[in-house]
Amino acid sequence: MTTARPVREARPRIEPWQDPDAVPFVRIQGVTKTFGEVYAVDNVTLDIFKGEFFALLGPSGCGKSTLLRILAGLERPTSGRVLIDGQDMTDVPPWRRPVNMMFQSYALFPHLSVRKNIAFGLEQERLPRAEIAERVAEVVRLVHLEGLEDRKPDQLSGGQKQRVALARALVKRPKVLLLDEPLGALDKKLRDQTQLELVNIQDRLGLTFVIVTHDQEEAMTVGSRMAIMREGQIAQIGTPSEIYEYPASRFVAEFVGEVNLIEARFASVNGTTMRVRAPALGIEIVTDRPVPALPGEPLWVAVRPEKMSIAKTPPAETGYNCVEGEVFDIEYLGDVSVYHVRLDNGLFLRATEANKLRLIERPITWEDRVWLSWGPDASVVLKT
Amino acid sequence: MRTALSVVAALASVLLVGAGPARAAGEVRIYNWSDYIDPEILETFTAETGIKVVYDTYDNNEILETKLLAGKAGYDIVVPTATFLARQIQAGVFQPLDKSKLPNWKYLDEDLHARVAKFDPDNRHAFIYMWGTSGIAYNVEKVKKALGTDQIDSWDYLFDPKYTNKLKNCGIYMLDAPDDVFATVLRWQGEDPDSKDPKVLEKAAEALKKVRPHIRKFHSSETINAMAGGDICIAMMYSGDAGIARQRGAEAKRKQEIRYVVPKEGALLWFDMMAMPKDAPNPDNAHRFMNYIMQPEVIAKASNFVTYPNGNREGMKLVDPEVASDPNLFPTPEIKAKLFVITPHDQRTQRVLTRLWTSVTKGR
Amino acid sequence: MKGKAERDRLALGRLLLIGVPFAWLGLFFLLPFTIVLKLSLSEPALAQPPYLPIVEWVEEAGELYLAIRLRVQNYLTLVGDGLYLAAFASSLRIAATATVLALLVAFPIALGMARCPPRVRPFLLLAVMLPFWTSFLIRVYAWMGILKDDGLLNALLLTLGLIEEPLVILNTETAVLIGIVYSYLPFMILPIFANLEKHDPSLLEAAVDLGCRPIVAFWRITVPLARPGILAGCFLVFIPAVGEFVIPDLLGGADTLMIGRTLWLEFFTNRDWPLASAVAIAMLLLLVVPIVFFLRLQALGRLR
Repeated sequence: MTTARPVREARPRIEPWQDPDAVPFVRIQGVTKTFGEVYAVDNVTLDIFKGEFFALLGPSGCGKSTLLRILAGLERPTSGRVLIDGQDMTDVPPWRRPVNMMFQSYALFPHLSVRKNIAFGLEQERLPRAEIAERVAEVVRLVHLEGLEDRKPDQLSGGQKQRVALARALVKRPKVLLLDEPLGALDKKLRDQTQLELVNIQDRLGLTFVIVTHDQEEAMTVGSRMAIMREGQIAQIGTPSEIYEYPASRFVAEFVGEVNLIEARFASVNGTTMRVRAPALGIEIVTDRPVPALPGEPLWVAVRPEKMSIAKTPPAETGYNCVEGEVFDIEYLGDVSVYHVRLDNGLFLRATEANKLRLIERPITWEDRVWLSWGPDASVVLKT
Repeated sequence: MRTALSVVAALASVLLVGAGPARAAGEVRIYNWSDYIDPEILETFTAETGIKVVYDTYDNNEILETKLLAGKAGYDIVVPTATFLARQIQAGVFQPLDKSKLPNWKYLDEDLHARVAKFDPDNRHAFIYMWGTSGIAYNVEKVKKALGTDQIDSWDYLFDPKYTNKLKNCGIYMLDAPDDVFATVLRWQGEDPDSKDPKVLEKAAEALKKVRPHIRKFHSSETINAMAGGDICIAMMYSGDAGIARQRGAEAKRKQEIRYVVPKEGALLWFDMMAMPKDAPNPDNAHRFMNYIMQPEVIAKASNFVTYPNGNREGMKLVDPEVASDPNLFPTPEIKAKLFVITPHDQRTQRVLTRLWTSVTKGR
Repeated sequence: MKGKAERDRLALGRLLLIGVPFAWLGLFFLLPFTIVLKLSLSEPALAQPPYLPIVEWVEEAGELYLAIRLRVQNYLTLVGDGLYLAAFASSLRIAATATVLALLVAFPIALGMARCPPRVRPFLLLAVMLPFWTSFLIRVYAWMGILKDDGLLNALLLTLGLIEEPLVILNTETAVLIGIVYSYLPFMILPIFANLEKHDPSLLEAAVDLGCRPIVAFWRITVPLARPGILAGCFLVFIPAVGEFVIPDLLGGADTLMIGRTLWLEFFTNRDWPLASAVAIAMLLLLVVPIVFFLRLQALGRLR
């Protein structure tokens, strides 16, 4: 995966987190969870708003699943509080929480039919039979499980199981639906399709979803906002585009999408323009997003490969944001190609170009002398 | 008629009919009651003759009989009780003994052997190994506490509800041997102990049912431990078993004084007979062993060990006086006069008897 | 495409594979069963062996007959005399009670074992099976020492002041039940544990998440899923307990009526091998046929 897919902006989004008066729906306040000596979740504070599709993203072992289980009530935080819809949930047992979870393994009850699995949660509420039947039928239609109601879980395909698990949680009409790696077991095509279905369902029902995933593409596809987690802590919170375009740290920049990281030192700031020196490259780098820094302070500049232009002739201005090198390797990925360029000092940078032309007509080839250049808006200066 | 450990171990061996080990030339295979011989006798026999002894044990007649009737049990010498022996002779299980190979036969007690000729005409198939009685054993201290007397001299104490009601709390055991119990009850009732009349037998069963609620258990082999451990206070027991219980009770941490009596109404007299199955693999060695055990000093040694009188006129004279001095274990002529014997039952009587027995023990 | 020769070879291999269990069944079940069935239809006799053959060549008026005499009386006796039905009913009742008790004791143990960390489980399994290293008979004898009037249990209860008079437990049906539950407990624990161990813990979390209290989740999820293990355990305890002989003989009282004891009486005391065989056959039919039928229904239920 060389490029992140563009963020889907198909629907108009409400952005409550921009509104200073909006009251968060789910509030995680200073939550810590330790297992023995290990901090699985380390003092996490996070607000999620009503109607959000919030993604918790991070490498395995970063604590995202533990955080989700704390929301569900399956784990008790060592310290901190969890509020849902204004109510303190910290001491409420899972069976009393207005929250339902879709498990990574689906956790379908193997001895019950699809219908019974879905009705299970409603039966616990002692609803009248007719109402249960009605609500089950409704959700069965919603997730397209018609005709499979009497099957047992072991007679279903992976995708069908996933939908039963979703229906079983949805039918409870939870205030918050938690999804733990919900699509991990599906093949790529089905996963892509299901992601969109999930978004549509969330959209239609107006529920609040919290999804845990290690797949950044998935997080970006479905998430209204996402939190990147690392070693129990939150590295960055933001919309997918914010995080992709303006990562706050090298960890986030590298974890979400591909990136060229260039070591640099602070040079100067002039209004909205910041200049840094990259001694290894022997150039200056200009960015239009200054960060406060001291002279000579070590910094890093992140540049996404697809924002680098590659050309056999030098650009008009070569004084900054421009390096020269030799094409070392070309990865052909169908839609795009990745050019690995070796600079004269031995460093490598990557540039991605869309394959608008056929392979055969490509103007740049191995061992060509090339120039890489990018705009000030493509350079992100990172302090950590 | 010794019963010691459990019925069960033997049960397993019965079901492995004929699966004996390989038969070497120089061995004799003996199947006897458990704890019914001084092991030194076997060692000395082997030392003297070079014949290896393969020695297996059982602890009730039924196990032995089942093995014999199944055939090919692979034993040279077995020791059934006379009533069982008689029936087994009819079934054709035994071979006549070759008395020319048994010169020590002359030491046997002619009077006793005349009595057992009732079971084995002319003593063709067997001779008496040991004999004994089925009487009453009791814990002196506990009985005294329950009844105020420690002189038990009548079957009333086991068959009359008036007494059993007082003894039930300290524990009454009964032999699980219908032949012995029925014969004794009949004798106590003044009937012929050897009666085969179903009506008479039923009368005995009725009497037993009256004391049945006071009896804790019908069992033949557990009584020794229960008696020696002070768990029960009175039981119908085989004389030698009572002897062992008395010995163990005296040695126990919490001493129990056990006494054995032949009540004034009398007690069943029984004989354990040494015989040779028809299909004995080593008949010559079996004869040699039998002749060896007929030596007065050898059989006396066995009696010293198992505390039963033997069937050997000369051997009896050599028994340790301390063992032989208990008139209840080694009956005096006066006590001997009170003893009685029974004959084997035919199949039909046996069935009636067993059915009555079940109706007594299980209340059905 | 496979060649014909290869297909034939595969078919033969499959036949052999299926044939092994059938041969096993034939050799160790059907053959003994046939022998006992034959015996149950013969006539007892004072002979060696103590029954008459059912098939005989008979010469009558110079003509040869193959005479088959089947003695049905053995079975009529079973029905006619209430003893056998009562013994059977009593055996079933005792075995069923013991099975239920064993289940009640075993399930929490198995559940506790299955919830332990995997590295501890082998030791717990070992602990469950440890008693098997001692002879069964010795263990039953040990219970006699525990249960008798001045045994360990009474001594303990008296010391604690819970009772004033020793309880009479030995030689009662209670002692038999204790003996059976103790002796067969591993057979109940092991299949249930094997089943529970495989349960996905997220199922219980899902149930709790869907609004179940843990105790409800236990009844609605754990118990139904453990059904195969529970059934296997119950059969493993119930079937041998019905025919149990040693435990009622040693721990039971005079009035403990069980079919194993009745069979013993017929076989040994009455030397009536045919009737004993009839008891055995009746026991088999009354026990195994309903169980096979039940399992068959279960299998059909699963397919549906």
